[in-house]
Amino acid sequence: MIEARRSIFSRLVAGAIVLSLVLLAGLWWLTHQTVSSTLQEAARAEVDVDLAGLADIYATGGTAELQARIADRIALTPVEGSTSHYLLADDSGRRIAGDLAQWPPLDPAVSESGIITIGTNSRGFARAVQLGPNLRLVVARGIDIEAPVLSSIAMAFAGGGVVFIALVALLGRFAALGLQRRIERINLAFREPQDGAGLAAAGRIDGDEIDELTAHSGAALARVNDLLAAYKDTSEQLAHEIRTPLSHLDNRLVKALAQKPDPAIAEKLAEARSEIRRIVQTLESLLDIAASKANRGDRSGLAPVDLSALVTGICELYAGSAEEAGLALDWTIAPGVTINGDERQLGRLVTNMLDNALKYVPRGGHVAITLEPGPVLVVADDGPGVDPQDRERIFDRFYRGRGKGEQTSGSGLGLALARAIAERHGLTLTLEEPAADGPGGAVFRIAAAK
Amino acid sequence: MPMRILYVEDDPRSAAAVGEILAASGDVLVWEENGSAALLRAGMEPFDVIILDRMLGDIDGLTITRRLREGGIGTPILMLSALGRSSDRADGLDGGADDYLAKPFEPEELVARLRALHRRATGREHSAVIIYGAFECHLKARTAFRENRHLALSPKEFELFRYFMENAGEVVTREMLLRHVWKMDFDPQTNVVDVNIGRLRRKLEDGFDRPALETILGSGYRLLDGRR
Repeated sequence: MIEARRSIFSRLVAGAIVLSLVLLAGLWWLTHQTVSSTLQEAARAEVDVDLAGLADIYATGGTAELQARIADRIALTPVEGSTSHYLLADDSGRRIAGDLAQWPPLDPAVSESGIITIGTNSRGFARAVQLGPNLRLVVARGIDIEAPVLSSIAMAFAGGGVVFIALVALLGRFAALGLQRRIERINLAFREPQDGAGLAAAGRIDGDEIDELTAHSGAALARVNDLLAAYKDTSEQLAHEIRTPLSHLDNRLVKALAQKPDPAIAEKLAEARSEIRRIVQTLESLLDIAASKANRGDRSGLAPVDLSALVTGICELYAGSAEEAGLALDWTIAPGVTINGDERQLGRLVTNMLDNALKYVPRGGHVAITLEPGPVLVVADDGPGVDPQDRERIFDRFYRGRGKGEQTSGSGLGLALARAIAERHGLTLTLEEPAADGPGGAVFRIAAAK
Repeated sequence: MPMRILYVEDDPRSAAAVGEILAASGDVLVWEENGSAALLRAGMEPFDVIILDRMLGDIDGLTITRRLREGGIGTPILMLSALGRSSDRADGLDGGADDYLAKPFEPEELVARLRALHRRATGREHSAVIIYGAFECHLKARTAFRENRHLALSPKEFELFRYFMENAGEVVTREMLLRHVWKMDFDPQTNVVDVNIGRLRRKLEDGFDRPALETILGSGYRLLDGRR
């Protein structure tokens, strides 16, 4: 399982919540603006109608009549809605009639309108006009009703928003869990490919995208499993069909040896038995190379191996043989170097490297094995080295070097198998470039792949 | 005392070959051609060791092993198979077999392994001191003697000597030594076993006039009793 923070589904749900919040805020703001401007528009219409009426009264009744009517209107308290406020003044702003204390900052010459403060804490929409020479009038209408309307809208949005976001989160989580389960099923099948059967059956080509992905993944896994099974069957049958007749052949040689033939014949028979062993080893090496390659990158079935102890043991095993071959074998092993791996295969890798060195380094040569944490294993010798054009070919199957001029035995699979084992463990096996002023010779380096 | 051995093998030639080897070692071999007959027989008669082929016509060796164990039959099982890679061995041993030997094999190795399995099953494990002819091997003290003279062996040489002592008088193959002393299930191309045996031989024979180890051409070595 992927931790929640990295899961695409958690991120989708979080994204949906944030997006809903932004949309809600935007919608609230839009509603707020619309309601606010509608209320102001209504106030403006009322003010303008009132003003037109008063202007008519002035035109027909003069200033006295106008004063009376303004007083009437102020005395009238509306049952609901907002109250109107008036100020009739001369050009210096001195009050003639009305309930507004002072002339608002509106220019009557251009019939200016705007939001003004009425009294101490009330707001209203007002328009000012020039009725006649030295006479101006301002009519205002309170818009305090705006505040409670807007705040109840905000409350509605906040309350509805909380419910909405909760629903988004809940539905999102529910949908994500369903998707996550389906994706996790595919991931699980790839993590445990052996148990991948049934995935193909679960997916439907006519379903949604994930159904199709499930079906394809299942089919691919089934194919990989089939291939692996076919590979295992074939290699087992191959091994069986070759080993069994060789075993019979070996039996005949054993029986012939049991007859106590003369020593020259006995030696030939023993050599024939060794040949049989070599054929079997070649077969096994080939199958091991194939298996290691097939398992490349697959970390399952690997356990911690004490590489320091393993390499030391093999060096000790080879010390006598190196001495007999006239070689100085030195090893410098850092303690406690471990790797996750297959101990037998790693042993095979190290022995193959030493077999190779002992085969190609002439008498009087040196072979140095160094193991450092990392792990880095270097097998260096001062033998003839490798021709530049053969530097990669030596890792090919059945490539044989020229050896020490003697009959070169061996299957030609040692380095190929060593490399396959290294790669199966996430390591690389390379032949280092020889240093220009160095002693020459081959330097093999096994290190963690970058 | 001869061992009674059940051999399950669908190839008559392999069966005949094993029959001859065991006849030579004085043991009794009962051969069954298929898995179901073998299961039936193993349930009715006692055997000292069961040899199973890994690949049989009807039931494979791993399944037979499991069924025997489920049926409460604890007879030691040696799997004798044409599948000889490390992974095959691991499968066999994990599957409940007590030992695993790949074909082709050394006749001596088969006999030695059968005896070792039988010895382990009957609890006749080696005691703290193994004595064979003039040789003594003290397992706890990790010391070795010939005619009461201390032999200065390195730790690995002692392991080698001990393995020879445990299989005293029997032929020990290179494969057996690699497997038990160096924990390797393959034969390196370098003559490492011969060289290490050579060194042990020198320490065992230095100052004595009788040989200690006999080389058996084409198969392995045998520890001699070292008596004068």
